[in-house]
Amino acid sequence: MIIAKSVCKSYKNGAVNVLKSISLNVSDGEFVVIVGASGSGKSTLMNVLSGLEIADSGNIFYNSVNLTDMTDKQLTEFRRKKVGFVFQQYYLLSNLSVDKNVRLGADLIGNKNYRIIIEKVGLSDKIKSRPSELSGGEQQRVCIARALAKNPEILFLDEPTGALDEDTGRSVLDYIIKLQREKKFTMIMVTHNLNIADTADTVIKMNSGNIVGTYKNQIPKSAYEIGW
Amino acid sequence: MIVSLKDSLKLIGIIIVIFCAAFVCTFFLNFYIDAKAIRDFINDAETLVLYKAQIATATFTSAISGGFLAVIAIIMLVFYIKLYIDKNLNKLGVLKAMGYSNLKIASRFLVFGFSVFLGAALGFGMGFAIMPIIYEGMSIDGLPEITINFHFWLFIVLVIVPTVLFAVFAFCYALLSLKIPVCQMLKGRAEKLRKYVKKQDKERSFLCEMCYKTIVSKKSIAFFIAFACFCFSAMVQMSVSMLDLSSELMGGIILGIGIVLAVTTIFMAVTTLMNGNLKNIAMMKAFGYTNFEIALSILGGYHIFALIGFALGTVYQYGILSIMINFVFKDVESVPDYSFDIAVFFITLAVFIVFYECMMLFYFSKISKVNVKSVMIEN
Repeated sequence: MIIAKSVCKSYKNGAVNVLKSISLNVSDGEFVVIVGASGSGKSTLMNVLSGLEIADSGNIFYNSVNLTDMTDKQLTEFRRKKVGFVFQQYYLLSNLSVDKNVRLGADLIGNKNYRIIIEKVGLSDKIKSRPSELSGGEQQRVCIARALAKNPEILFLDEPTGALDEDTGRSVLDYIIKLQREKKFTMIMVTHNLNIADTADTVIKMNSGNIVGTYKNQIPKSAYEIGW
Repeated sequence: MIVSLKDSLKLIGIIIVIFCAAFVCTFFLNFYIDAKAIRDFINDAETLVLYKAQIATATFTSAISGGFLAVIAIIMLVFYIKLYIDKNLNKLGVLKAMGYSNLKIASRFLVFGFSVFLGAALGFGMGFAIMPIIYEGMSIDGLPEITINFHFWLFIVLVIVPTVLFAVFAFCYALLSLKIPVCQMLKGRAEKLRKYVKKQDKERSFLCEMCYKTIVSKKSIAFFIAFACFCFSAMVQMSVSMLDLSSELMGGIILGIGIVLAVTTIFMAVTTLMNGNLKNIAMMKAFGYTNFEIALSILGGYHIFALIGFALGTVYQYGILSIMINFVFKDVESVPDYSFDIAVFFITLAVFIVFYECMMLFYFSKISKVNVKSVMIEN
């Protein structure tokens, strides 16, 4: 369970307030989508919730452990054990094969069966390929496999379909949602695509550093049922 | 336009290497030329032997150190131009797309000759400044005093010629490197899409693979680190071993050059390595790898090259001093015997380990300070 209480974050010595007293609850196994326009603070919120950045004030509890009290070393340990990331720009290690990129995540928890995940994301025939030999969709699936290979309790995704065309985007989103439903990990996705919100259990809308609305989808749609 | 005079000043590694080469060559060659003029005044056979040994030392040292440092400077220049083109590929691609010819773009790389001019001119000036002390140290009893003369053609050879040669070289190399299709440049991809051989991947852990691939994909860094440690080992040991054979000043100059070259080259190489791996470091940090694990996988693999460089430097200095004693000074009676100094070797090794690890500690702190978010934003 993630509980954020009055979280604030600013840059340039307080001149730019990116998060203005944000409070939210995310239950275990929940799929939450944070939507908002560019500059609304959604990526910063994801960064502070995941321990990539430290909030200026407020508290973030993960299973009653306060992230805001943690040192840099403790946050590293937290990310190592609990968190997985999928980024819009992939950030794959270009000189390593698909296999070794996924091992980046797997080795952190000594996961020897990581190839099952590569198979699950449909890349078993590309296991020895370099990222430059893959399409955008395939690269994003490597990112997903890399994140899942460390068996995270929470998966954070920052615009995972932002750099993909519609067909590939739907296919990648479908993969992610199916894996989340199957493995029951908590998933927090940041996107500016309002249609994707229909696939989530909970939707948080952000604007100018504030949460302007939260609602739950009674029946979340699949990636192929939404508009794009 | 893309390459400016400011960029050429950033080639601090080349400036320093060229400075050292010009510095050493200036006083030795100037001494050689001035000493040649008094050859007719030497009648005594014993003094003649000593005189010839001095002349041979000047020639030998100029050729060895000047030639060696010039080769290193060329390698650095190639490395820097390649790095520069790789880094600015998109911008250069835009220029090409707009219609600028390769010739026009490459001509801007001529300004890299300025860094050579700066290093050479400073080295030449400094060499001239300390020349009275060098002449005094190398004077021989019974010989007429060797007066210091300025030889303009030496200035041309040591400053102007390298400047022109390096500028032309930079131009030609840039021209060659710019023969990449525009589309590829706009995508920011310098290398041709390689057909990777689908070999069986070794069952290495991620960190081992990262360490291995970092070295394989950046072989020039391994070379520069080995070279830096070579300089440190060779010149520190040589400066101490030479105390019986030469003046303290000469020992001090060699020690200084060795340390400056080692620090500059390691700094240049590891900074390049770090900049090239910022994205990887950020990603590893995001996933929860500790700073120590990251440092080990990025920097750790180069320790072996540092040790190889140190070993080669030891052999080199022993070889050079043996040649000097056994061949150049073989007819001079007062020259003491030379043998490999084990104590100096072990002390230098200990100092070297401390020196190298301090440099690595500096970069470890840089890794600790890498901000995941800012790296992601930049990319």
